[in-house]
Amino acid sequence: MSRGAAGRAAIIGIGATEFSKNSGRTPMELAVESCEAALADAGLPAEKVDGIVTFSAEQNLEIEVARNLRIPALRHFSMVPHGGGAACGTIGQAAAAVHAGSADYVLCYRAFNERSWHRFGSGVQGRHGGAESFDISFSWTSPFGLLTPASWVAMFATRYMHQYGATSEDFGRVAVADRRHAANNPAAFFHEQPITLADHQESRWIVEPLRLLDCCQESDGGQALLVTTVERARDLAPTPAVIAAAAQGATDDQQAMRSYYRDNIAAIPEMGLCARQLWEATGLGPDDIQVANIYDHFTPLVLPQLEEFGFCRRGEAADFLRDGNIELGGRLPINTNGGQLGEAYIHGMNGIAEAVRQVRGTSVNQVDGVEHALVTSGTSVPTSALILGQDS
Amino acid sequence: MADSDTPLGGRPGSAGVNPGEEKAEFLAALCAQVGATGKPWTARDPVSEPVIRAWCDAMADGNPLYTSPDRAAAGPYGGIVAPPAMLQVWTMVGLHLGGPPERAVEDTPSAGVYQLLDDAGFVGVVATNATYSYDRLLRPGHLLTGTQTLAEVSEEKSTGLGVGHFVTTETLYTDQDGSRVGSMTLRILKFRPGTGRQGPEDDTAEERQVRPRPATNRSTDWFWDGCRAGQLRIQACDDCGHLQHPPAVRCLSCGGADLSHTVASGRGTLYSWAVPHYPQAPAFDYPLVVGLVELEEGVRLVSNVTGVRPDQLNVDMPLELHWLDTDDDTTLHQFRPAAPRRRDSTLAAGDLEVGHRLPLSPVPIDTLLIVSTALATRDFQDVHHDPDAARAKGTPDIFMNILTSCGIVSRWIGDWAGPDVGWQSIDLRLGAPNHPGDTMTLSGSVTAVKSTDGHDLVTVGFEGANSLGTHVSGTAELVFGDLPGDRA
Repeated sequence: MSRGAAGRAAIIGIGATEFSKNSGRTPMELAVESCEAALADAGLPAEKVDGIVTFSAEQNLEIEVARNLRIPALRHFSMVPHGGGAACGTIGQAAAAVHAGSADYVLCYRAFNERSWHRFGSGVQGRHGGAESFDISFSWTSPFGLLTPASWVAMFATRYMHQYGATSEDFGRVAVADRRHAANNPAAFFHEQPITLADHQESRWIVEPLRLLDCCQESDGGQALLVTTVERARDLAPTPAVIAAAAQGATDDQQAMRSYYRDNIAAIPEMGLCARQLWEATGLGPDDIQVANIYDHFTPLVLPQLEEFGFCRRGEAADFLRDGNIELGGRLPINTNGGQLGEAYIHGMNGIAEAVRQVRGTSVNQVDGVEHALVTSGTSVPTSALILGQDS
Repeated sequence: MADSDTPLGGRPGSAGVNPGEEKAEFLAALCAQVGATGKPWTARDPVSEPVIRAWCDAMADGNPLYTSPDRAAAGPYGGIVAPPAMLQVWTMVGLHLGGPPERAVEDTPSAGVYQLLDDAGFVGVVATNATYSYDRLLRPGHLLTGTQTLAEVSEEKSTGLGVGHFVTTETLYTDQDGSRVGSMTLRILKFRPGTGRQGPEDDTAEERQVRPRPATNRSTDWFWDGCRAGQLRIQACDDCGHLQHPPAVRCLSCGGADLSHTVASGRGTLYSWAVPHYPQAPAFDYPLVVGLVELEEGVRLVSNVTGVRPDQLNVDMPLELHWLDTDDDTTLHQFRPAAPRRRDSTLAAGDLEVGHRLPLSPVPIDTLLIVSTALATRDFQDVHHDPDAARAKGTPDIFMNILTSCGIVSRWIGDWAGPDVGWQSIDLRLGAPNHPGDTMTLSGSVTAVKSTDGHDLVTVGFEGANSLGTHVSGTAELVFGDLPGDRA
């Protein structure tokens, strides 16, 4: 979003369906239900909505959602590409839209049956032809058996371990923290199901060096968020979660999931680009963040994200984890909803909703004195991030 | 050798002592000659340089002490010596199409046992264990005599290949003066084809699915054309010379639009890797190793890494290119551990510690290798050159003989140790056969070092693994430093 929009828009409504492995409903039903819930949370009638921003990966068209919600007119509609990398980008583009006046109230949503319908983790096995650049890009990996998101991420994880001495147990600490937080969250798929590091180490390989418990589980569900200007938000009942800043990033020979050709694949330069933009737009730094939702489709990529934002130095995230910093009571509790490993994998949109709850003071794992909450989006793809703060 | 009753996944005791009277009688007949020693058997020809050279050619053994008179003259033995691994070769019965050998194989006590087993349907044959001890080096002109003792015939055993009996012989080798030069303990399995746990080949198996084919367009087809032509091509900028992969339509360095390609050397190192276990796509063999290979030209690409187990992967390990045809139109680049180079100067006493690792060495197995090495070891058994005969005897294709397994392991250890290393013994245990089309990767490490009188006695533990499992494992005892005088 433009720097001018920093601090000028807020998330004023959040709404989700239940998270499950079989919703028993169509993805359109999930999308509409979650949008209705976000509007109810905000206390805003649907006819006021005049903008929708979703993912280019979203299969529920905005016009069909608008039709079901009886939204009379859409003035702003756009899509953000690259799967889970889009999550915070939708909020950033909505914030820019309401700040610029191209819309007043913008819904952002993601809804799918990624478990009970097409399993997202099954990857690209069927892709064989086509001459467009997207098809071509798979030619460099699919014939060799790198077919799934886990396999694409594993290549980064191995290199990270080699370069910085991180271990499978270090990855496991992310899963343990997530599941501990999820255990307190009735909405989490893994409510009351914490795991130990031993459980993690005993879980089977999915793609070495990733174990089963390093991988989020495909979910059915929907999550929607409502964005408007801070001024309009103040007229609605909930506490506004001010969008202090949001940023997108793609850089350094960026590829989709497989940026294997840049100098250092154990770093996430597109997330570093987001971090620099957020710090610059807000004047904040790592010490100003009390809680974070760090994108965790696969545990290994949580580590370099902590480094890109400066919570620890390059290559030292494993030490940061070993010191217990990411759990409740630690320096930077992360994924207090359970994250995508523990609550549900809704492509990062549920993590933004958790940051809203932390700002409102309503999380089941509430952190004391939250001034600013950081959220990051999908890693190994062009990505995005945002900081939410209190309305001063 | 330890636990030698269970090669090939055999289950000792599972077939156990069979109470059936018939089996007991048969076993008694098999064992009647145990302990008997056959007539001494003198080789047809003395140790000779041409036969050594043929063996070295087939084994790819470049040790100059075996073939280069000048280098050998300047070496520790003052002249050409025979590879110790050839010990058994000199007295092999050989091929006698023009008439029977001067000495009949029937003179050995094991021959009668083999005949009984053949007659009872145990026609399959594989060597399972061999231990060679080397007392003295052999030189051209030595004439060897072997004397065989039948050491043991096992009760009926159930093995992966089939139900059968293990037959163990011990052979003592002497030279023309009657001096002992070495010995061999050899164990073979005679089995009944079709009774193994693998069962017969399933002809109705579904046709294998092909891997995802690369999508191509005019901006990338030159890359895949190159693969079909055996060239790994890297996009190159005609203006600034920048190399890049994956290909683009502009130079990523200078923006130039005039792009061509260069051909990579095929040498690189492993930058990172992933080993998919789940889900499994039907076109692939698992565990599947996918590597991110850094070519020596400075670009990276994704490729399979073959001939290596996941637990043998190391970031930065040297790799070399090879090719895989995945369907009629598609050839994919693949990498495997780079064949280690032969050491010119021998390691010295004190250079080695327990735990020192030998370099991984992949050995591609093809028909030429199996047949040429069988001939170079003077082994004319049909299972090593005739696929139909091999199938009739219960294996899906021809397979490498044990003298070659010994020769290739010895060559690899010698390449690592250096040309002057002394050999005391080698002990091999065979398992999964080496069939054409497979790759055997050798790995090993130093397991013991004993230092005395200016030399080190070093034990190397080794394994050669192929796609079916462990082909060979064992130990070799080597001498580094001043050799004990009587050995040369």
